[in-house]
Amino acid sequence: MDIQWEEIKNDFLNSLLNDDKDTAIKIAEKTLEKGVTAQRFFESCVTPVLVEIGDRFMRLDIFLPEMIAAAEIVQSVNEKVIRPQIEKTDVGKMESQGKVLLATIEGDLHNIGKNMVNLMLRVNGFEVIDLGTDVPPSEIVEKAVQEDVDIIGLSSLLTSCLPFMKDVVELLKLKGLRDKYKLIIGGAAPTLEFAQKIGVDAQGHTAAEAVTICREIIRSKKLSS
Amino acid sequence: MEKKHKADFDYFLSVLDKADTGPYVEEKDWDRQYITNTIKGLIKKYDISWDKANTAVPYDDSLSDRLFEAGMELAVVSGVYCIDTHRRMVWTREELDKVLANAPTSVVVGTGKDAVTIQKRSPDEHKRVGVIGGPYGIPISEELFFPLTLSYAKERSLDFIENASLLTTYGRDIRAKSPWDSVACWQEVDLIFKAIKEAGRPGMGVGGPNSTASAIGVLTTVSHNGFRPSDWNHNSFMSELKVSYEDLIRSAHFYYTDSYCHNFYNPIFGGFAGGGEGIAIAMVTGMVLMKACLHGDSVNPGPSHAHLSCDTYPEIITSKALAMQALNRNTHLLTSSFARPAAGPGVIDIFYEVAAMHIAGVTSGVAFVKGVQSASGRFAGHCSALECRFMAKVAHAAEKLSRKEANPIVRKLMDKYRDVQKDMRIGKPFNEVYDLNTLEPTSEWMNLYAQACKEMKLLGLPLEGED
Repeated sequence: MDIQWEEIKNDFLNSLLNDDKDTAIKIAEKTLEKGVTAQRFFESCVTPVLVEIGDRFMRLDIFLPEMIAAAEIVQSVNEKVIRPQIEKTDVGKMESQGKVLLATIEGDLHNIGKNMVNLMLRVNGFEVIDLGTDVPPSEIVEKAVQEDVDIIGLSSLLTSCLPFMKDVVELLKLKGLRDKYKLIIGGAAPTLEFAQKIGVDAQGHTAAEAVTICREIIRSKKLSS
Repeated sequence: MEKKHKADFDYFLSVLDKADTGPYVEEKDWDRQYITNTIKGLIKKYDISWDKANTAVPYDDSLSDRLFEAGMELAVVSGVYCIDTHRRMVWTREELDKVLANAPTSVVVGTGKDAVTIQKRSPDEHKRVGVIGGPYGIPISEELFFPLTLSYAKERSLDFIENASLLTTYGRDIRAKSPWDSVACWQEVDLIFKAIKEAGRPGMGVGGPNSTASAIGVLTTVSHNGFRPSDWNHNSFMSELKVSYEDLIRSAHFYYTDSYCHNFYNPIFGGFAGGGEGIAIAMVTGMVLMKACLHGDSVNPGPSHAHLSCDTYPEIITSKALAMQALNRNTHLLTSSFARPAAGPGVIDIFYEVAAMHIAGVTSGVAFVKGVQSASGRFAGHCSALECRFMAKVAHAAEKLSRKEANPIVRKLMDKYRDVQKDMRIGKPFNEVYDLNTLEPTSEWMNLYAQACKEMKLLGLPLEGED
């Protein structure tokens, strides 16, 4: 089977950058018609193209709306082409990189940074549950249990909201759940010192750092299991 | 204090009505349709573009006038989004024109002999520019808050000062929307007024409460025995063109207490407004709508780079200069230039970034310069008064320049830090670049300052006096 992956990737990338959902779906359909499995298409085309999109956003060659549009198109391709094929053939399953719960902590309404982390994680293959802004610690813990996530990511721009991050740590300990989840914090407010003081697993300032940290956490988790 | 040019009462009430009765819109649609798509259309319609390779400080008046019209159209088409009611607050062009016509052309900040008048300026106008310096909400320990503030208050080149944020209050965490918000802001009042008294400038304007972001700080401390109506109180929009009930509560408090109010709005470079062209439109819109919505006396845009958080990224500076020209040519809003460099104290690049921003701003006609929110304002204690001394010196030198003369200087300054800005060299905290006994910069830090001043002169900036 002679598949020109470079050409397919290039066309798929252009369809995402041009906000052209129909073409992206057609590319996926045509490739699968050639006998390629859905899993192979995802791994050889979708994943590297999304990584490229993420890199372009980090360089600001493209902006947030373009990245959101690309993520939405990929979601449509998944729903309309990839998932039905997998269900039909039951050949292989695409493995999520990990499941991450995100929230801007109680008291803080800022969401741009957290939204960028959400997108960067999604384009890098993570499953993300985003609880939005001003989220109380009790809701964060409740949802983490409900969704059975691997990682809880908390964001804050404001130093006066940091005590609520500490509350999440204490609530997890109180419920005997602290070791069940990896806890990461970010945004402008939390420093490394603060992270160490309250006992979370990692701290970062950028969306790219969040991806690196989450990858490392999942890698370690897989190794230890 | 000079009587403020406050909006009439019926108009004030009508703004609050807009938040409750405007068209309902989902926030996702606001971001994508009303901001991203509308701005993309306006960039094309008004041909908002410039030669990025050769322009640091634009001087094309037809471009800045087109930008003003694009910004006004966005203001009318989109308006402001209230995140609590999910409603668009909308204004007609006639309403906005009236708001702009009634805006003050000068205001007084501070009291008595320490009071300072801020006046409207225009692009290429050689009138004196106001200077406000301070640590701009950068968190600092209780122990260092007073000496840090005093070091700024002692800088005679600063017309008035802005405050840092306390990291804790009386050893306790400052939990948002708790009583500690109030306690922390009252501690801030005590320390700030002690500092300006010790500096011999008791009437000097000081920043409003910075130790909390909630409205509690303003409601409790911009009051009897607290911050004065003549102080530098502030209120803001969120990006992109969003407002909360808390912001409207603050604006009501400032309205009823007849307090000075400075408004700021920080669009995201690389966010929903897009790149340089998009944020230029958003800045014009934001300044006009803040005046209409929050009734401020002066305005400032401080766009944030999506990843670095600074506002001194070269394309942001150019975009902001253009937006300021658009406003300063077409309105008499009291606009300002703000420096949030990526570099921090102890790193010479901080001077390049501050100079690039303010030379562009002053020649573009801002009424005053503000800063310095060092190291993107993200690292506790990473700020010092020396970068503000430098800011004042550069700003007054830039008063003598035109935009055309400023352009090559700012381009060369940008070239000095363009490639290394992403390294985020945050430098050292206050207590490592200042002697805590004398509250003067260390010799090492002073040497870098002197070197930067020398380099400014070599670039053609007419700095006055010895370094």
